[in-house]
Amino acid sequence: MIRQIQAFLISLLIATFLLVTHTTATNLVWLSSIGMPVDLAVSVSALVTDLAGMNSRGEFPAFGLIFVGLLIAFITARIISIWSSLKKPYLYALAGGAAMLAIVILMPLAFYHLDIIAGARTLAGKVYLTCAGVVAGYYFGSHPQPGDSNEKH
Amino acid sequence: MKSTKTGLLAFSSLLCGGLVVSVLAMASNDNLDTQILAEGLDHPWSMAFISDSEMLVTEASGTLRRVSNGVLDPQPVAGVPEVLFRSQGGLSEVRIDPNFLDNQRIYLSFPAPDDEQPELNRLHVISARLEGNTLVDQQTIFQSHPPRKTAAHYGARLGFLADGTLLITSGDGFNYREKAQALDNHFGKILRFNTDGSVPQDNPFVNTPGALPEIWSYGHRNPQGLVITNDGKVYQHEHGPKGGDELNLIQPGNNYGWPAITYGIDYSGAMISPFTEQPGMEQPLKYWVPSIAPAGMTLYSGEMFPEWQGSLFIAALVPGDVRRIEIDDNLVVTEEILLSEFGRIRNIIAAPDGSLILATDGKEGKLIRVTAKQ
Repeated sequence: MIRQIQAFLISLLIATFLLVTHTTATNLVWLSSIGMPVDLAVSVSALVTDLAGMNSRGEFPAFGLIFVGLLIAFITARIISIWSSLKKPYLYALAGGAAMLAIVILMPLAFYHLDIIAGARTLAGKVYLTCAGVVAGYYFGSHPQPGDSNEKH
Repeated sequence: MKSTKTGLLAFSSLLCGGLVVSVLAMASNDNLDTQILAEGLDHPWSMAFISDSEMLVTEASGTLRRVSNGVLDPQPVAGVPEVLFRSQGGLSEVRIDPNFLDNQRIYLSFPAPDDEQPELNRLHVISARLEGNTLVDQQTIFQSHPPRKTAAHYGARLGFLADGTLLITSGDGFNYREKAQALDNHFGKILRFNTDGSVPQDNPFVNTPGALPEIWSYGHRNPQGLVITNDGKVYQHEHGPKGGDELNLIQPGNNYGWPAITYGIDYSGAMISPFTEQPGMEQPLKYWVPSIAPAGMTLYSGEMFPEWQGSLFIAALVPGDVRRIEIDDNLVVTEEILLSEFGRIRNIIAAPDGSLILATDGKEGKLIRVTAKQ
């Protein structure tokens, strides 16, 4: 159980980190494209600021939002795994992707089509963040689950 | 204000966001009388006097109301076009023509669904003649381009320059903020038109390839305050994101920076830009962190409060008060907080008799008249 919690927290960190870095990169790439002086120092500082800011200064902490999304998705995946023959890393990868997709799709519906997560305003951004959920889910699914026998892994 | 008890919060500009040394003062209302003129208004947004005793009021839900001698006419003005009333969108500004006494024309701004893609919408500005209690002879002056899917950040304020041309503020649409820095669209711009919808040939980008010729200034977020002084200065305020509301002095052709430079952060807590200044981008006269959500502004020149002549009054939605701003030599020297007991203030105008008229925000909005205590 402890290893599972550990794996969940790490998958949560992966998804949160990928979301934040994507937001930072999206902003900096655009700023650079219009000639703003974006250099390495600015980029590092911006990333650190966003890692702190998106988890403490916003209307909602990013990790909290993702925590809820992944928790629901992984519990659902665990139930499905009882009768699914899909390998667990893939099943949880799908679940993680679905969780992030739900976040980027449902949030604007709750806010009059306003994309509160700036990096999710474009289709490419939504796809990237869904992939971030896939990576986080794959990591979680690659770790032993309750009921797994040693032979399975 | 000499007669006002001033409890100084005494923030210097370095602490509270002004760019100059200014004093933020919380004033008492001991010398003010307030009287409710009308209540039960559905999201009142804008007011305009059409005579000394008659005022038009827009309700965002789509109706134009008339207040005569302090009494709200239960019958709305007929002939107002269908508007998109959703989220931040609805019937917005009402402004009377500088020659209203001769031509009875008024101007309205509002979002409406796009004709070809009704899931999208555009900001519209029309003019019409007020004949009795009906709008007739409607003419479309402006439709924003491109259409948007969001119903937010329209700007939608109107103002007349001394030469009779019309300024329109057009917000960034929330999801389209980067477009405020491009000149091929209407997001995040102040626009200048003739009243027939044509473009004045002395606009700053008329000869710029790829630029829309009606653009007068750019790099704005959600400009909901616009004041043009008798000596031709154009003051504008705009909502920032989480912090970073701004009061600007607008010059044609200038770039006001959004979202490349800003003092605010995103609602997600993310940085929008690490930059607060950049050559070629204008600094605000004042900015607010945290936000006050400035929603409307008027310049006071009345006789009822002679000590306030020349002050700007800003309606603030958050926490809900009125800010009196004194500007000296393009520097904000005083900010005074007034009338903080009414909740969210949507707009403020000065009446011909020198009193101030406030509109409170919401489904049960009120018009409140502020006069000097006898």
